[in-house]
Amino acid sequence: MKNPVIEFHDFGFRYASQSEPTLHGINLTIFEGEKVLILGPSGSGKSTLANCINGLIPFSFKGESTGEVKVAGMDTRHAGIFSLSKHVGTVLQDSDAQFVALSVGEDIAFALENQAVKRSMMIPQVIAAASIVGMQDFLNHVPYALSGGQKQKVSLAGVLHEHVDIVLFDEPLASLDPKAGMHAVELIDDIHSQGKTVVIIEHRLEDVLHREVDRILVMDEGRIVFDGDADTLLCGKLLPEIGIREPLFITQMHHAGCVLHADDHPSSVTRFNLDPYRDSLLNFIQTEIQPKAHYPGEVLIEATNVRFSYDTQEAIKNISFQVRKGEKIAFIGKNGAGKSTMAKLLCGIVRPDHGSITYQKTDLKTWSIREIGEKIGFVMQNPNQMLVKNIIKEEVAFALTLRNLPQSEIDERVQRALTVCGLWPMRNWPVSAVSYGQRKRITVAAMLALDTEVLILDEPTAGQDYRHYTEIMDFLDDLNRQTGITIIFITHDMHLAIEYTDRAIVFADGEKIADDLVVEVLSDNEIIEKANLKQTSLYTLALRLGLPAQTLVDHFIGHEREVKIHE
Amino acid sequence: MSKRIFINIVPGKTFLHRLSGKTKVGLFIVCIVYTIMSFDLRLLAPLMFLSLIAIVSLKPDWKVIIVLFIAIFLMNFFNIFLYWVVKPNIGSEWTGGTSTILYSFSSYYFVSLETLWYLLVRLFKMLTSFAVSMAFILSITPSELASGLHGLGVPYKICTVVSLAFRYIPDISRDYENIKVSMQARGVEMDLRKTPILKRLKQTIYILFPLIITSFDRIGNIANALDLRGYGLKKDRTYYAEVEPTMMDRFFRWSTLALFIFCLAWIVSRNIWEPATKMWFPFEV
Amino acid sequence: MKKKSLLALIIGEWNTKTIVAVAIGAALFGVLMVYGGVQVFTNTKLTTAMLIPVIVGALFGPVPALVACGVGNVLADLIGGWGFWFDWSIGNAVLGFFVGLLPVYGARIDEGVFTVKHAVIFAIIAVLANALAFGVITPIFTVLFYGGELTITFMQSLTGGASNVLVLTLLGIPLLFLLAKRYGGSKNLTKE
Ligand SMILES: Nc1ncnc2c1ncn2[C@@H]1O[C@H](COP(=O)(O)OP(=O)(O)OP(=O)(O)O)[C@@H](O)[C@H]1O
Ligand SMILES: Nc1ncnc2c1ncn2[C@@H]1O[C@H](COP(=O)(O)OP(=O)(O)OP(=O)(O)O)[C@@H](O)[C@H]1O
Ligand SMILES: [Mg+2]
Ligand SMILES: [Mg+2]
Repeated sequence: MKNPVIEFHDFGFRYASQSEPTLHGINLTIFEGEKVLILGPSGSGKSTLANCINGLIPFSFKGESTGEVKVAGMDTRHAGIFSLSKHVGTVLQDSDAQFVALSVGEDIAFALENQAVKRSMMIPQVIAAASIVGMQDFLNHVPYALSGGQKQKVSLAGVLHEHVDIVLFDEPLASLDPKAGMHAVELIDDIHSQGKTVVIIEHRLEDVLHREVDRILVMDEGRIVFDGDADTLLCGKLLPEIGIREPLFITQMHHAGCVLHADDHPSSVTRFNLDPYRDSLLNFIQTEIQPKAHYPGEVLIEATNVRFSYDTQEAIKNISFQVRKGEKIAFIGKNGAGKSTMAKLLCGIVRPDHGSITYQKTDLKTWSIREIGEKIGFVMQNPNQMLVKNIIKEEVAFALTLRNLPQSEIDERVQRALTVCGLWPMRNWPVSAVSYGQRKRITVAAMLALDTEVLILDEPTAGQDYRHYTEIMDFLDDLNRQTGITIIFITHDMHLAIEYTDRAIVFADGEKIADDLVVEVLSDNEIIEKANLKQTSLYTLALRLGLPAQTLVDHFIGHEREVKIHE
Repeated sequence: MSKRIFINIVPGKTFLHRLSGKTKVGLFIVCIVYTIMSFDLRLLAPLMFLSLIAIVSLKPDWKVIIVLFIAIFLMNFFNIFLYWVVKPNIGSEWTGGTSTILYSFSSYYFVSLETLWYLLVRLFKMLTSFAVSMAFILSITPSELASGLHGLGVPYKICTVVSLAFRYIPDISRDYENIKVSMQARGVEMDLRKTPILKRLKQTIYILFPLIITSFDRIGNIANALDLRGYGLKKDRTYYAEVEPTMMDRFFRWSTLALFIFCLAWIVSRNIWEPATKMWFPFEV
Repeated sequence: MKKKSLLALIIGEWNTKTIVAVAIGAALFGVLMVYGGVQVFTNTKLTTAMLIPVIVGALFGPVPALVACGVGNVLADLIGGWGFWFDWSIGNAVLGFFVGLLPVYGARIDEGVFTVKHAVIFAIIAVLANALAFGVITPIFTVLFYGGELTITFMQSLTGGASNVLVLTLLGIPLLFLLAKRYGGSKNLTKE
């Protein structure tokens, strides 16, 4: 047996500002060289657990702990964060905070600078690390001119050359495009194969399983509710019960009524032994399904030949498209392709250099941001940039108060929005005391409460668990059906795009390279290649079964819709 | 809030840009001491000349520089004009007591050669100090500033304050914009075309409070990120931004040292040992 | 809660958090100095930047406030591009020290403690410190560095000082109450 490197004994932790503990009775041993994935709903205490390992608890977060944690043989209460930092490297969930230096190169070098490594020895290491994540051409770039995904790559590079033996990744994939996500998973696997102990916290289970993990821990409400291998976990019912998304092909098997066996390796779509299940799957696609109804209305937004540049680089190159009333559209594509920038253009936060954007034939130029804001609601990619109030409830009520709505109406709308986003029980909490995913949901709630005609959501599901995001998505879907609200999602989740939108506009390097049904887009290899997309595992499954992928996806979605209606 | 900040963040390519941070910071400090220590046009003029050459060699965006230069000139010109209004014979105290009247408005208000000289030298001194700072600001990046200060013996924790502050200035400006936008989008009218100025002032405070609060809220997160990557691990640290000194650096460092010795000698002999009560005045009678 | 010695309160604890706070404070100070004010007289501005040392001081002590102010001022000169005027930087740093004295007289914002009594002390100190910083220190350095006319220098200092007092009392005190409420309010959170 290998040496244990992380040991929790009856550990519990309560944040000083909370009245209830966030972690309870944690007993856990992680061995040298293991690769462990931690799953769990948003707010279940995953980041808190990671912070107990890297020493931020109790060093930086004040609170009360019971039991003990040992990392590399040291009790974290006495070891101090410096001795721990020699053993544990962490990629934080908040990539904005992680980026502490003034340029990409400097940030990657930061740990080396602290170890007083000579500059001549530092440069080659920095270049090597940057090349691994594909950021070698960006070494001189300043942090604020990087897109969300590019920042995350830099933070990965920053821990690559640290001589630590344990590496913690807190949601490393959250804002990466599908291909970059795949590369990140491979990268993490390479780090692991160098003999390091790796702990990953991630909601995107299917993506992480692209490479094998040794062990999965599932957390719920501050407790570890599962500790075992991936195959066993996927055969059980635990994940759907606590609201975590299984890999799509697994859900598909469950829909088809298959009872899975761990021996068949269900954790890998390529190695999965499908023979015992083939018949049920073939039966499944024989059933009748309702085609998806889709009635677009009049043209609402029209962008014509829009160009836009930041100081140094052109972010939007001559893009034109239309959005019709009641449509649900996905903006998909590579990191840094200009999706968020396009959204900002639609909201008037930045204005086109050339070309025009009209709303019901009125040029947006003539409207102030506030006037546009009455029609178009926007949830920004980074929640920290939107929160202006102290208390969650006040944040959501803020805009309503400004619009002088009657108090009863405000209360009613705030309650509805917070309930949909699963935050009603925490309505009186300060914004600073909730998890990252919860903060993102506050901003979604604030926009939901506004009842605008168009809603733009920039990566609404990043860092969210399945239950919370389906609740939000289904609510939006209902809203769309009842009130005809137009919705634009920016997302890296292809299945989300397939399931909840009618049409995708695909961006690559500032250009629009496709504008079509999502399934159509995903069946074109050239587009997939150009825009760093990836087919969902349903395609792989269909391929292995020799079935038409389209049919399988249609049945999958049709089935999900029916289940929802019956609920 | 303008998105453009004056200092360049990305290293430039001209000859001065390529000097190491330590060289630039050292030279700048000595030059500032040099401008401050005297009221002697014979000392100030060469420095002004060199600074202007430096600025030209840095290939700056002239439009911005000229506007600033004019603003600084007008402000200081107005200042010395006030001096004259308050004390028309202020120059006499500095030049040795004489007053050669060139033109008089009344028995109290007159223009004397001495006052004119004194005010011009003062204006020139201000402008030199401005030109020196300008050359410095245009030539350095924040990372070089931090590493340069450290190279001169400033404790690295203070240097971190400087570089971290620069790291977060763009973020703060962007937060400001975002808070503004997110308030606007949610119903506060701030469009320049559509709000009166007084109301805009009040709204600035609406943005200011959340700005201050969100900025201070992120302290914990940033400190965690620093700690986790071993910040403060050792007594000393190295800098990615501090390039290895070249021949040019050595030349400038020796010149800086020479200038520094000259300044010391001047300060000791003219300002401390026997404080000069007079400035250099070529028209002395 | 152990009682800290006076000296420890004044110097503050220079751990990573303090360094970051001073840096963020300096950045805010710089930005507000350049963009967050209105010109009232030559060389002087009615600026909201002076609120920053108040908060840094309230959370971390007067010496961190002083450093934040001093560095912030130098940064403002750098990003504003108007050259360095060290006479004013020194005055601002001294003022920063005094308005940052809050923990020394018992106002603990991070624990939610800020009373009317503290507000009164704060206002008095704000007036006295401005008188000292801009009535004595800055003029001395102006004359020393650049030579000059005392009446004018005093006039500049007085307008600068007066506008600072205005900002500190009219905006600073409400901000302190707000912050105290914010930090004091997040206790015993429960799901309802
Ligand atoms: N700084 C803090 N102060 C007080 N309470 C906190 C703090 N950080 C987290 N919590 C509480 O602990 C709970 C768990 O938070 P944690 O960040 O560990 O969740 P998580 O599982 O990582 O969620 P996510 O997937 O959304 O990041 C949250 O519900 C939150 O209320
Ligand atoms: N404020 C800015 N200043 C300068 N350049 C910027 C700025 N914001 C973004 N960019 C650049 O513009 C390009 C488009 O960025 P944008 O944020 O729109 O990408 P994105 O498609 O949303 O990517 P992601 O999926 O990673 O969020 C990127 O190359 C980025 O480096
Ligand atoms: Mg988390
Ligand atoms: Mg984006």
